[in-house]
This record gives sequence, structure tokens and C-alpha cells, in this order.
Amino acid sequence: MFYLIHIAIFCAIYGILAISLNLVLGYTGLLSVTQAAFYGLGAYATAILSTRFNLGFGESLLIGIAIVSVVSFLVGLVLSKLAGDYYAVATLGFNVIIVAVMLNWSALTNGPLGIAIFSKTTLFGLDFSSQPAFLALALFLLFLAYGIGYYLKKSSFGRVLKAIREDEKAIQVFGYNTTKYKLVIFVIGAALAAAAGSLFAAYISYVDPSSFATNESIFILSVIILGGLANLEGSILGAIFLVLLPELLRFVGFPEAVAAELRQAVYGLLLVILMLYRPQGLLGEYKL
Amino acid sequence: MFSQIIINSLISGAIYALLALGFNLIYNSTKFFNLSHGTVGVAGGYVVYGLAQLWGWNFYLSLLIGLLSAGALGWFLNYFVFSALRRQKASNMTMLVASLGLFTILQALITIIFSSQFQILNQSLPQIYSLANASITQIQIIIILVTLLVAGALLLLLKKTLFGKMVRALSDDEGVAKIVGLNTEKIIGWVFFIGSAIAGLAFIFQGLDSGLEPSLGLGLLLKGVIAAIIGGVGNVYGSFVGAFLLAFVENFGIWKIAAEWKDAIAFALLVIFLLFRPQGLMKR
Amino acid sequence: MSALEIKNLSKRFAGVSALDHLSLSVKGGRLTAIIGPNGSGKTTLINVLTGLLPYESGSIIIGQGESQNKLQAVQIAQQGLTRTFQEVRLFNQMTVLDNILVVLTKRPVQSALFETLKRETQLKAETILKKVELWEKRSELAFNLSYGQRKLLEIARVLAMSSSLVLLDEPFAGLFPQMVKKVSDIIKDMRAAGTTLILIEHNMNLIRELADWVVVLDNGQILAQGPAADVLRRPEVIEAYLGD
Repeated sequence: MFYLIHIAIFCAIYGILAISLNLVLGYTGLLSVTQAAFYGLGAYATAILSTRFNLGFGESLLIGIAIVSVVSFLVGLVLSKLAGDYYAVATLGFNVIIVAVMLNWSALTNGPLGIAIFSKTTLFGLDFSSQPAFLALALFLLFLAYGIGYYLKKSSFGRVLKAIREDEKAIQVFGYNTTKYKLVIFVIGAALAAAAGSLFAAYISYVDPSSFATNESIFILSVIILGGLANLEGSILGAIFLVLLPELLRFVGFPEAVAAELRQAVYGLLLVILMLYRPQGLLGEYKL
Repeated sequence: MFSQIIINSLISGAIYALLALGFNLIYNSTKFFNLSHGTVGVAGGYVVYGLAQLWGWNFYLSLLIGLLSAGALGWFLNYFVFSALRRQKASNMTMLVASLGLFTILQALITIIFSSQFQILNQSLPQIYSLANASITQIQIIIILVTLLVAGALLLLLKKTLFGKMVRALSDDEGVAKIVGLNTEKIIGWVFFIGSAIAGLAFIFQGLDSGLEPSLGLGLLLKGVIAAIIGGVGNVYGSFVGAFLLAFVENFGIWKIAAEWKDAIAFALLVIFLLFRPQGLMKR
Repeated sequence: MSALEIKNLSKRFAGVSALDHLSLSVKGGRLTAIIGPNGSGKTTLINVLTGLLPYESGSIIIGQGESQNKLQAVQIAQQGLTRTFQEVRLFNQMTVLDNILVVLTKRPVQSALFETLKRETQLKAETILKKVELWEKRSELAFNLSYGQRKLLEIARVLAMSSSLVLLDEPFAGLFPQMVKKVSDIIKDMRAAGTTLILIEHNMNLIRELADWVVVLDNGQILAQGPAADVLRRPEVIEAYLGD
């Protein structure tokens, strides 16, 4: 039973991550391969703020979102000059830099050893440290993320994002400052990823740089490509699918170290097969 | 101290240059960023490791097989994945994502077979020479010289041979090349073979000089990509200019700051170029 | 009065002058056709005017606006200029209705984020789509339309903008005769409503029928201009086309 709740919590966390990237890639067409960096920054914010400053979950979540919003705004400014392949490489680069900072700024992050969190997760005085309670919290945040995504996609803003994805120059010719739109959605995506990071940190009670490397960004990418680009339900479906998949692999009985790598190989294979045979994914409305 | 920086720059610059060279070669013919290019080279490096270190085969034979393996692997990936995508008129982003998928698979397989531990290709002690107040090993001298040789050979191939002309025609305009009767898919296959073999060489050098680990497939490739962008994507000479500039800035930077920030410095340089001179230093 | 004033405009592509110190005054409220052999600079001119291409020297003034020195495409649209594309640039993976709605809604990010779609906006979209007979196809994705329908959707998009200055880049290319009549009627309606139109076109019959003024470009310069009947008879114009 606890095992199932554990899986469900991860499905929720990755659901939020998937929605956050889908807003940026699926709806706006920006090939960002750095969502794990913002995920990590949110996680580290919660870890550092709760261990060093004794802040509660709620505060660390909000401060983490604030910090990531600023960072992603600056990164977004740099990225606004780029497109396509260059954009993707630049985002990968940013991910690499963030992980380097996590590994080397030991005074703040404890370097490769990571940070262990001992405080309980409380929010508005309620204790969420028990598994079922935490699941409720995670689902609530997932629900919020979905709501934000839904609102955005139905809004005029969302319509402009799709037009940017289809033909950015053309929508500019019709009077839209696409740079601003891209910046806003990039920051929103980053903020959502940071929220997922805070959840992750609070649940696992331990953060270290290896969870937030480029492999993780590529994994989140495969979640939304599987579920379907520009489809919020698809994001959640993709997350459930790809969280469950390694669990199934585990039952086949490989040793843990090999299983972890096999998991990676399967994600990679999934990406290749999807690109070849079903680029719009399971529920997607749109191909890259 | 300064001359040591120069020498270190020449060595890492040579490896970056080889990676940029192969990357640019493939980019020119297919117009997409192939992010699996590095891991294909790493695979070649590990083949050498496996044959020479684990099985004790003759080093030069292992080297040759390693290069051929890398080339063949690149050729296969193109044959089964990239050319199929091209037939479907897939977008650049689709190809890039597919290459990320391939990179992930390869890196995982390499890790399963060889573990993620750092492996060195050469067990014997390096022969060290002294040059202008700095030290350089025999291997390092070989790396620099062979890189220049390979670059020279590649340039000759591109400029003087019929094959080279066909590659250049393809790079200029694939549509026209096809109409004129060139078997573009076959040429691209060869381009992948050559480019991947060069990547294999780069990682073999890396393995000889400092060692190999699976994650270098993306890590070192990105350095090559940065070098290519700085030099001007697609420009073969640019590969060298970009590579040595990057290596120099890195080595100078870590002298002033600390070694752990090397990657951050590299990407900071990339950002500066992308912001102020995205077309790179050399004109196309 | 002049709706568009172009002075000494120059644009080079790799050593070749696509536009060579071009000066042109476009009078408001009428249809000016720009014609010329291939490579004369017509599409370059339109791309420069709408901010898709930068230019080296000269000035462009739209309406009462400031001299347009290296303005961005965004700002040009805000000055009341809009266009269709020869190669048809629709938002392919969006519905027909969305292709129209997207230009009807507010431009600033904050407004777009919190805007609720007013009844009048929806009605306007409906009216425009009915005018081009695409209302039934409103939920269809743009790339599923036939070529003629796509051309019509491009024009519908321009109608939705309600701009005072509209550039049409070969709107008739590749259309069947019934479609040509439809498009030509819409253009006549726009002209009757007082919109200033600039039309790039090859078909001389259509030009005689629609244009108040014809400008002939050749090698990036103006070869001749005047009323249609007059200009199309001139020997140097005929020579430019035949000699090509």
C-alpha cells in the first residue's frame, strides 16, 4: 500500500514537471532541455532554507519559486536571441552550469554529498509528513499546475503561444512582441518545475546534484513527447507511464545498478521510436 | 606558467577541434545538431579499452578497430534512424530529439558494460618532455600532431577528391545535388562514417591523455559544439579557431579562478558568443 | 495625402542591389499595383516594408508615423500596416477560427493573459469567416485546407486586422477562376471601404481591373508609374518583361 502511494507521489511530481515543460515546448515550441535545472534549484531552495534557516515547507516553496523566477527570467533573456538547435544547446549548457554550481559551491550546497532534511513537512500548521497526507499535498499541487496550464491554454495568451510555435515571424508581423510572450511562459514553466522540486526535496528528505543533470531534463522531455505535445492530460499520462515502467523492470529482476541504466536505455529507445513512428505521442495534437 | 597554459590549451584544443570537425562535417551534410555524435566516439574509445586493456590485444590493432567501430556505429545510426527521419521530412527539432534518445541509449549501454568508473587507455608511464618552462608528455605531442594531420587529410579530401566535391555539393544544396544525380543518402552515410571515426579518435586521445567515462559523450561533445559555434557552425577552419580559443579561455580561466568552474567558463563563453556573434568568428 | 512614403530605399543581398535608392509615394485610399519581372525587387520591397528584412539606407514613413528607421515587424504592424504572404504563412496546426482569433485579441502580454473573449470579437471572427466562406470549416486545422482556401484564410486574417494599409503579395497565384473572382471581390470591397492597398501581381488583366495606379519595378528601381492603361502600354515596360 505504501509502495503504491510512493509511486503515486512520484507520478504527481513528474506530472507537474511534464506540464511545466509542455507549456514551454508543446505549446510555444521552445526546445528547452533544462527543466531539471529549475527542478533542482527548487529542491535545493527547500533543502537549504529548511535546514539552515528553519523555514517551513510553504515558505521554502514560495521563496524557491521566487528565486527560480528571477534566474529563469535572466536565462530566458539570453535565450530569446536564439532558436531551434542553438536554443536547445544553450539550454543544455545552462543545465550543465547549474549542476556544476551545485557540485562546486560546497559552502552553500554541500557539494556532491548533498543535503539531508530533517524537518517535517508542515503547511499552515498541518503536518503532511505521513505518506497519505503528502500524497494529498502533491495531488493538490498537481491540480494547481493543471489548472494553470488549462487557463493558459484557453486564454488569448495561449493562442498567441501556439502561433509563435507555428510561425514566430508571421505572428510578429501581426503586431505581437513574441520575445515577451516567450519570456513569460519560460518563467512560468520554470516556476512550476521549482515547485515540483520543493515537493521532491520535502518527500525524499535528501537532495544531491546527480538527480538534476541533463539526463533528467531529457527524461522529462521523453515524458511529454510520449504523452503528447500540447496536451495536458497527455503530460500526466506520460508521467504515470514512465514512472511505472522502471517499476515493472524491477520485477524482471536485474541488479539495481544495471536496472537504473536499463531504465535510461529504455527512455532513450522510447524517444527514438516515438520520433520515428509517432512524433505526436499518445494524446498529442502536434508534432515537433 | 603561461607556457603551460598554452600547452594545455593545445592539447584540449586538439580534442575539441576533432569533435568540432566531425560535428561540422555531419552538420554540413544534414543540417541538424547530432547530439549522439559524442557517444559514438566514446564507444570507439571503449572498444580500444576493452580490446587493449581487458583482452590484451595489440594496441595498434585495437586502435584501428576502435576507429572503425566508431565509424560503423555512426553509419548504422544514420542508416536506421536519421535517414528514416529524413525520408519522413522530419524537422530539425525531431532529429535533435532523436539524437538525444540515441545518446541516452548508448551512454546507458556503455555504462552497463564498462561501469561508470574512469578508465585510462594506457597503463605505461608517460614520457615527459620539457618545453619552454612547461612539461608535455609524448602522448600529448602525438595528439597535437595527429590532429593536425587528420585535419589536413580531411581538408585534402574535401577540396581535392571527387568525393569531397560531392560532399560540398550536398552541403551547399541537397535538392540540387539530388537532381544532378548524386546519391545523397550514400554520401551522407560516408560522411557519418568519417565524422564518427574522427570522434572516435578524439575520445581515444582523451582516453590516452586523461581517461574515459561514459558521461563524456555529451560533456565533451558540448565543448566541441561550443567550439563549432564560436568558430562558425559548418566552417571547417572555424572548428580549429573555435577549439583553441575555447581551450585557451578555459585554461586561462581556471588558472585565475578554480578548476571546478571549467565547464561554467566554457558555457559562459558560449553565451557571450550566442549573444554577440552567433554566426561565429569565421565567415561561412 | 500619402499613406506610405518611401525615400531612397536601398537593400543589398551579397553584393547585388535588390532595391536601389527607391523612392515611392503611395496615395491613400486607392489600390497601387507593383509589377515587374522576376527579380525586380517586388517581394524584397514588401519584406523590407513589413520589417522582415533589414535595409541599408533610406527612410520609410507610414501614414503620420515617424520615419521608420530599422523598425521591428511588431512596431510596423502597430503603425497600421498588414500583409499576406506569397508562400502562405498560416498557423498550420491551429484551427481556422484560431487563425483569425489570434489577430483579433489584445497585443500586450498582460492583457492577453487576462482577456476574456468578448461576444463582439467572436461575432467579428464569424462575420469575416463567413465573408470568405470558411465559417463551416472553422474547427478544421489550417494545414488541412485546400490551397485556395488557405489563400482565402490569409486574406481573412488581413481583414481581421482592420488596417488602413494592406499589402497583398500575389494573392491570386495558383487560384481557380471562381476563387480569383472571390478574392477580387473582397479586394474591391476593401478598396471601397477606404483601405489603402498595395498589390503585387503578375496578371495584367487583374491589374487593369483593380489598380488605380501601377508602379513598374526593374532591377530594384522604378521604371515607370502611372494609371494602369497608360503604363502597361509603354515600350520600356513591355521591353523589361520580354527582355527578361
